[in-house]
Parts: sequence; C-alpha cells; structure tokens
Amino acid sequence: MTSSGSRQFGDLATQLVQESRRSTLTDTLLKYNDSLVRTVIREQRNLEDLINKAIAAQPDDAAFTGDEPALLLYQTAILRNKRCLLAYHAHRIDRLRDMYWALGAALPALLADNNDLRTRLSPHEVDFLREYNASVMDFRGDFSSELDIASSVTHPPRDLHALVRVIRDCGVIQTELGSIDFRKGQRFMVRRADIEHLIVQGYLEEV
Amino acid sequence: MSPRHISAALLDDDEDFPMVGVAAPDLNFGVDHPPETLLQQLVRHWLNERHAPDILPVQAEVLGALLDHIRRQTDTVQALRGDPDTSEAEHARIMLVQTEVERVKFVVRSYIRTRLYKALQIEKFARYIVATSEVQEKLSQAELDHARRFAQLTENHFQASVLQSLPPHQQGLEDNTPFTPPMISGPDKSRAVFVHARDECPPVRLPDGTTMQMQKGQIVLTPYAVVEQLLAMGSVELI
Repeated sequence: MTSSGSRQFGDLATQLVQESRRSTLTDTLLKYNDSLVRTVIREQRNLEDLINKAIAAQPDDAAFTGDEPALLLYQTAILRNKRCLLAYHAHRIDRLRDMYWALGAALPALLADNNDLRTRLSPHEVDFLREYNASVMDFRGDFSSELDIASSVTHPPRDLHALVRVIRDCGVIQTELGSIDFRKGQRFMVRRADIEHLIVQGYLEEV
Repeated sequence: MSPRHISAALLDDDEDFPMVGVAAPDLNFGVDHPPETLLQQLVRHWLNERHAPDILPVQAEVLGALLDHIRRQTDTVQALRGDPDTSEAEHARIMLVQTEVERVKFVVRSYIRTRLYKALQIEKFARYIVATSEVQEKLSQAELDHARRFAQLTENHFQASVLQSLPPHQQGLEDNTPFTPPMISGPDKSRAVFVHARDECPPVRLPDGTTMQMQKGQIVLTPYAVVEQLLAMGSVELI
C-alpha cells in the first residue's frame, strides 16, 4: 500500500477475480497465479497489522465502539480479499471437475505428460484431483455391475456399433468380439459401449 | 407410499407395458393417469431433476427396478445370442433390444450424473447438504457419502491453498457478514421454471399474495418455490 502509491485495498484481489472471469470467457484454465495469491495473502497480513495498531492506538479509557472508520475500512477490505481468494480457488476447482468429467472421469489421461494441464496446476490442486477421483470411484463402484456412470452423457446412443479409426495405439482392449489390438491407422466396427471411453480420451475417432 | 408407487408396482415389471386383461383397481383416487412404465417415470424425474434448482428426492425404487430390468434383459440377450438355434429374425430383434438397453442406460446415467454434478449438483451444494438435515433425506446413501467427502475435500483444499496462510482471525469458512452473500451456497428456489400440470392442481399462492390454480395440461412460468409442493406430489412436471 505504501510502496505503490495509488493502489487501493482490494485491487489485487480484483485481478484474481478477473483472471477467473477471463478463464471462463476463453474456456481455458490459466496457469495458477501463485505470486498474485501470495501477494494478496501478504496484503491480508498487513491489514491485520493495521487493525491491531488501530485498536492499540485507541485511548484505554474510551469504550470500544467498533465504529471507528479506519477499523471498518480495514475489516471490509479483509473480508473482501478473503472472498476473492476463495472464489478464485473455487472457480479453478469447478473448471477442473468439468475437465475431469469431460474426459470420462479418467484421471491418468487428465494428468498425462502429453497434456500440459499439470504445469498449470498448483500442487494442492493435483492433490485435490487425486482425492476427488478416489471419491468418484467409490461412488461409481455402487453402479458398476449395470452401467458405467462415467461414460458420456452428451449424446444418447443411436446405434449399437460404431465405425472407428485408431488415432493412437491403445493396446489390447476386451470387446464383445473378443480382444482387439488397436493399432494406429486401423479401422474397426465395434460395439459402442466397449470403446466409448477411448473415443472420449482421443484414442479413437468415429468415422 | 404414494398412489403412484402402488400402481407402478402393480405393473409386471418384466414388460415395458402394463399387463393386458388385468383390471387394475383404481388407486389413483380419481386422478386420471394412464399408468406409466418405469422408463416413463424415470424420464419424468430426470427432466424434473434437470430443471429444478433444488435437489429432488432420489427415486431409488424406480432406479433399482430399472437396473434390475436392464440386468435381466442383458442376461436374456446373452443367452439368446449364444444359442445356435436363434433365427435371423430373432437376431435382428436382439439388436433392437440391445440398442434400447443402451438408450435406457443413457437416461439412467444422465439422471445420476445430473444429481451428482450437472445442474444442481450434490457437489455444488455439498457444504449446504452437510449442514442441512432435511436435504440429506432426499439423497441416496452413496450420494450422501460422496457429498460428505466432497465437502471435506473442498474445505481441505481451501485450507491448504489459502486459509492456513491467513492470520488466525481470518481462517473461518462461515463468516456471516451483513450485505454479503452467505459463504455456504444453497439452491435458489426463486428461479423461474416452466411447469406443466399433469392434473387439476390445488390452488397455490404466488409471491405477490394472489392465488393460481392450474388446469390439467396448462403450462406456466413461475418461481420454483411456488410449485415445490405440487412437484413433490407429482401433480406437475418441469419442462
């Protein structure tokens, strides 16, 4: 505050929220802004110090009314910054969950090396995804015998079978016709339910 | 058990249509509904769930019965496919049955996922659910477990990423400050929904104090809170 002249309380936190907004508008997940988060947290500590000083500066004999203007200002700034910080993190989690489900609840594919997502996450967010995945797996296990709740819910199936082309090798997969070794460039007519997750994850492509 | 459930239970659940020739006693108490198949029921609840801002009671019976049905169909299909005596025409029919099963599974999946995540989200309101006991009754055990785990998970994440670095005073997740929205978000029941009356409805009170009575087949746009009771009774559906 003192170092940067015209900056007001809460300016930095507003930047955080703007980043979330940009991320929504461009439908991307921006890199976790560690330095900005840290700076806002530092501002919070400064504000706390200012509050403590203001309280200490009050004459001992005066009854503490709590409506000291400076105190009110600091307190409002603290609450606002805190909400912005939490909103920034909550928004990122929401986006991560969207991406996770869009890939058919496949965590390895989401965090795979060929996907640069991982570099944009904070370590805590990676932990979050892991634990979230574990919880979803538990939930999914309750239905596993009849259906896989993680498969796509965007388009209802029209045909039982699909003609697919292999884009990336994905090894031997068990299907209704027995096991098939999917090699790049090949085409197969297979039961949709058997390979839908491979389409979602980008191994196969419908022709 | 509501009249609807009783009449649904009278249907032979191995078939997709009501048993022919068996006169079902009128358990609808004068309300004139053609009996719904399990799938029709689920589709209705699925649409309701997708349109309602609040979490609706889980349709465990419908879901369970339908999943049983799917399992039996799949077993039968497997047996017939393995049987060398199955004729060409029957194979064509098996194909149709399999396609239908896949499509039913799609609805079931979407219903579960909608509740879990999409529109109103067990996850979005996880912390509200954990704090509100009457909402918990609407969830299945698996859903409730997941909501609890998720609420804990988000709290841990906030704690690790933000709160633990703040001064002790500022670490709470339940600040109640005037003029700011509460930190635990719940469903917005004032959201407008399109409602289709399945029956003659009892009058309901609108927010401005006037009353509204819907005729069968009528479609209105109204805040969700107005028709919440009617929806629970099954007199209306959301579209």
